Amino acid sequence: MADEKQDQSQEESIDQPTAEQAPSSDAGRRDFIATGAMAAGLVGGYGMFGYISLRFLFPSTEGETALQFVMTTDRLKVGESAPFTAPDGSTMVIARNGEGETAEDFIALSSVCPHLGCQVHWVAKDEEFFCPCHNGAFNAKGEPTKGPPKYANQALTKFELEVVDGKLFVRVPLKSVREDERGMASRDAGQQRDNSRETRMA
Amino acid sequence: MSLRVKQIIIAVLGVAFLVSLIFVQWLEVVRRQTEAGIRPHEIAVPDTSKQCVDCHMDLTPGLIDHWKGSTHAEKGIGCVECHEANEGDADAFSHYGQLIATVVTPLDCSKCHEEEAKEFAASHHARGGEILASLDNYLAETVEGCGRHYEPVSATPGRADFGKVNGMASVNVGCKQCHGSLVALQTTDGELVTYKDLQPDEDGIPTNKEILSKIAVDKEQSRPMYDASSWPNTGIGRLNLDGSRGSCSACHSRHDFSPRRARQPENCGKCHLGPDHPQKEIFEESKHGIAYRDLKEHMNLDGDTWVLGKDYTQAPTCATCHMSGHTRNDGKITHDPGERISWTNRPPISRVMDTDEKGDAIKETNAELRRELIKDTWQNKRQRMMDVCTHCHTKSYVTKFYEQYDDFIHNYNEKFAKPGQMIMDALAKHKLRTSVKFDDEIEWTWFYLWHHEGRRARHGASMMAPDYAHWHGMYEVAERFYIEFIPQARELCEIGHEEGKAAGAEEVEALIEKILDREEHKWFMSGRKPHGGEGDHSEEPDDDGEEDEAGDSDTTAGSTEGESTEGGESDESDETGDEDDAGESEEDDGESTEDGDETDESEEDETEEDDSDEPASE
Amino acid sequence: MSRLKQWWAERVPVDGEQLKALTNEPVPNHLKSWWFCLGGTPAYLFVVQIITGILLAFYYQAAPGAAYESVEYITNQVAFGWYIRSIHKWAATLMIAAVILHQIRVYFTGAYRRPREVNWVIGMGLLLVTLMIGFTGYCLVFEQLSFWGAQVGANIAEATPVIGGPIKHLILGGESYNERTLSRFYVMHAMILPGTLILLLVLHIALIRLHGVTEFQFGNEDPEKPQTFNFFPDHVLSELSLGLVLMVVLSALATLWPADMGLKADPLTTPDVIKPEWFFYVSFRWLKWFPLTGAVLSSGLIVFSMIVWPWIDSFLRRVTKIEEISVYIGIVATCLLIGLTVLEAVVAH
Repeated sequence: MADEKQDQSQEESIDQPTAEQAPSSDAGRRDFIATGAMAAGLVGGYGMFGYISLRFLFPSTEGETALQFVMTTDRLKVGESAPFTAPDGSTMVIARNGEGETAEDFIALSSVCPHLGCQVHWVAKDEEFFCPCHNGAFNAKGEPTKGPPKYANQALTKFELEVVDGKLFVRVPLKSVREDERGMASRDAGQQRDNSRETRMA
Repeated sequence: MSLRVKQIIIAVLGVAFLVSLIFVQWLEVVRRQTEAGIRPHEIAVPDTSKQCVDCHMDLTPGLIDHWKGSTHAEKGIGCVECHEANEGDADAFSHYGQLIATVVTPLDCSKCHEEEAKEFAASHHARGGEILASLDNYLAETVEGCGRHYEPVSATPGRADFGKVNGMASVNVGCKQCHGSLVALQTTDGELVTYKDLQPDEDGIPTNKEILSKIAVDKEQSRPMYDASSWPNTGIGRLNLDGSRGSCSACHSRHDFSPRRARQPENCGKCHLGPDHPQKEIFEESKHGIAYRDLKEHMNLDGDTWVLGKDYTQAPTCATCHMSGHTRNDGKITHDPGERISWTNRPPISRVMDTDEKGDAIKETNAELRRELIKDTWQNKRQRMMDVCTHCHTKSYVTKFYEQYDDFIHNYNEKFAKPGQMIMDALAKHKLRTSVKFDDEIEWTWFYLWHHEGRRARHGASMMAPDYAHWHGMYEVAERFYIEFIPQARELCEIGHEEGKAAGAEEVEALIEKILDREEHKWFMSGRKPHGGEGDHSEEPDDDGEEDEAGDSDTTAGSTEGESTEGGESDESDETGDEDDAGESEEDDGESTEDGDETDESEEDETEEDDSDEPASE
Repeated sequence: MSRLKQWWAERVPVDGEQLKALTNEPVPNHLKSWWFCLGGTPAYLFVVQIITGILLAFYYQAAPGAAYESVEYITNQVAFGWYIRSIHKWAATLMIAAVILHQIRVYFTGAYRRPREVNWVIGMGLLLVTLMIGFTGYCLVFEQLSFWGAQVGANIAEATPVIGGPIKHLILGGESYNERTLSRFYVMHAMILPGTLILLLVLHIALIRLHGVTEFQFGNEDPEKPQTFNFFPDHVLSELSLGLVLMVVLSALATLWPADMGLKADPLTTPDVIKPEWFFYVSFRWLKWFPLTGAVLSSGLIVFSMIVWPWIDSFLRRVTKIEEISVYIGIVATCLLIGLTVLEAVVAH
């Protein structure tokens, strides 16, 4: 076996030409095919592994947000607003600005001021969201109109809404990184553990 | 040493190393698989049982396969460990070098399962065999069969081997298979030997040695011969030769002794079903049963532990409520279901389960004497049951349920059970019915009322099956009581009058009137004169608020118009009642008035199964 | 193009030709034999471990309340998580097996002899660090055997005279397994030990290069033909193909027998059978045969004698005049190693 290897390596080596070379064009083509095949194999193999690693690095975020029921649409009239707290603790204000029964007729805005995190509230008289900490204000669309948020051009975070059959839903995060939400996280883990026990592999 | 040689050494050692690694890894894979339950555990047949398995693999392969699937097999418990007999045991015999006995009793099981055997022995399950000589047994023995072998009416073509008829056949195949037989060995002179003759000590060894020599053995194997009346039998109260009671195989089927099976209602349903105690059917009707049927696969039935609240919560089974462990009692199982029962609905009149040292419900009525006798109160028992309920239901839910249940039992007791018992006792006392059981129609009626329909009703109430509580229960109880029992009692009184027992008959009639005059029974007689006969419909109750002015005979037609169904029914029931009476009096039921038995009838009626410790000498 | 080259050469002053000459050292012919790739195998697998390890570190959390769950998350939730984790697990086994096989090869061919004794010592260091990496790695999964294996391991370390207590305290971050223990194992497994391994590996390879690979002759070589061949591209290609073979083997193993989740560690329930990972079966069985302190000391003695074997070997050769005495001792020792490993695997499984 050692001898065979020696012959092969001499044929394929680029740096050490030997007297036993075949006519150059054939050798060149064999070389090319061999090198090409090798490259294809390497790229294919390690490339696939690279792709797998890349996919690996993108965790699935399914189950981290969900549509949650807020109220029936008839409970909110045009110009009215209602507060809402998501399961992870995020607070928001939901207002109706249109007569229709579609998601565009409602708006869900975070009630956390993007400046320094105080809670904003809707002032009907001035038709704005007002932040009492530093007198910041936002219009009905959440865009900043006054105060520090205006200077930094920070709007209130919007949450996605859906209206189905006269029922209003908002897409909110379910899990929080906060300590006091640990109960939910460990409950999920417990559920996953129970599932994995049933599907244990050999 | 040349390089080539060294190469070879390295090759050999290297390959050996790799192979050993592969082997080690394979073992690890197997271990994981076994842990996960994908691969069944390795069974090694214990040395002493090897011969058994080898032969019985051919003889009864199913038996060995069952055993191989059991936890016993996993832990190296083979045939001999359970079947080995002691020197001096009545049913011991030498079988290919081992001294064994065929029947394995709770005493044998208690060698390893001491706690369970103790709990079971204290339970009412273990007393199941004491039904022999009870009312139920009389039915099967005497009414359905015969206490002795009797002559057949004619020969059976093709069965020249049929001699006399075994009158105990119904008992042997029916009652005894659930309740347990009195295990008997045949003797050389045609008699039978039971534990009563053997008088075993606490280790199960017979103290009456003389009788051992009379035990018959078969010719080929020198095996003591069990009497077919008593074996095969895995009744739960089997009276074994070693003095122990019960058969663990009744619930833990041999030879795989599966706990999984014991957790399922179908297991209890072998015995706890049927017209007189349809617990299985009741469970299936109830929401508990519906949930169970749906979620059975998720309930971890194969788990090593089966603790409510920890291993499963989907639905309860029989075992869950009555025996299994839960998170409030540290997962402790009890083999005495009586520990969690607060009413015993077995007797004609339900009793609270204040139990004495033996585990019997106390009958003493004097409050002070009761207090002295009580070892465990019904409240304790109910609390133990509530500890199970509250895994799924809130406390007020459970408490209010128990209110509903108590009310139901109370109503049954007071309206039908106590009056019925009083009337039966009075009839017996005044000899208006014979002392021979089940020869009077009223005995069957009363039996149906409390033993079948009354029990169904009470069980249905206890386990949330409305249909069994009402339509299969109280409705039938009421119908039986008013339309059959009362008229039959009156009929017997009339006959009593005719036969010169007027005094007694009058007393019984007065009793009946007194009962029917009570508030809850008043409705029954409100439409007619006393002592039966056509009713005066002008006194009919106006349930629908309409006055019925019509006369007598054509009120039937008129009364059905526009009347509420209640009124209509009472009319119809009048007629059927009359027909029944008429039917009865036409029958020649051959009532005898002689005093057949020595024993007092009324006592026997009252005592039934739970009190008769010694079987009657029949 | 040449301007680009010029631009580059000015800023990165490395001469291509010089580099080629430096690295393209002639490789003795015996290295064409697959035997002698047993050194490159663990090195390649180490690279695989680093890559998969870094990937796993994106999701692993080294706290008792989250460790098991994070491994479970990787195994069941993350895309290809089961694959990366299984490769990591199998590559660990293969790496340790390859290191041991490599050591067997070096030992039996006597390549540790003068002047290469120091490199043998470095090699022993590599072996011990690799075993430690394997041990600490499994402790991180926080399954039952992870916890109890760590507990038992620390107790055995405690049995070392004098310094045993402090060693155990250092390993566990306290008197017994506590909330800090896992992060200790994590730092050991992912930073300190691999770093040490890289360092030792660099020294190991450097020494090989400086000494030159021990030339072996099978005795049937043709004296006319060259006794060496080229590192680049020939040897590189064979190393490359070996690496690919290993990837195929790893992939197959990871797919057929993927890593699963055992029971979570429960400090209150000791499992019926506690066993370390397979590479410690030898020492575990050895420990069961002798009282603890004696076993620990004798194990230490054995390891020490392995480390200084080159000098023991020369001493023995001098004293007994048997040239290949190491080979005979080696056969016995290897059989013992295999025997004890299998025995521990089979008994009470």
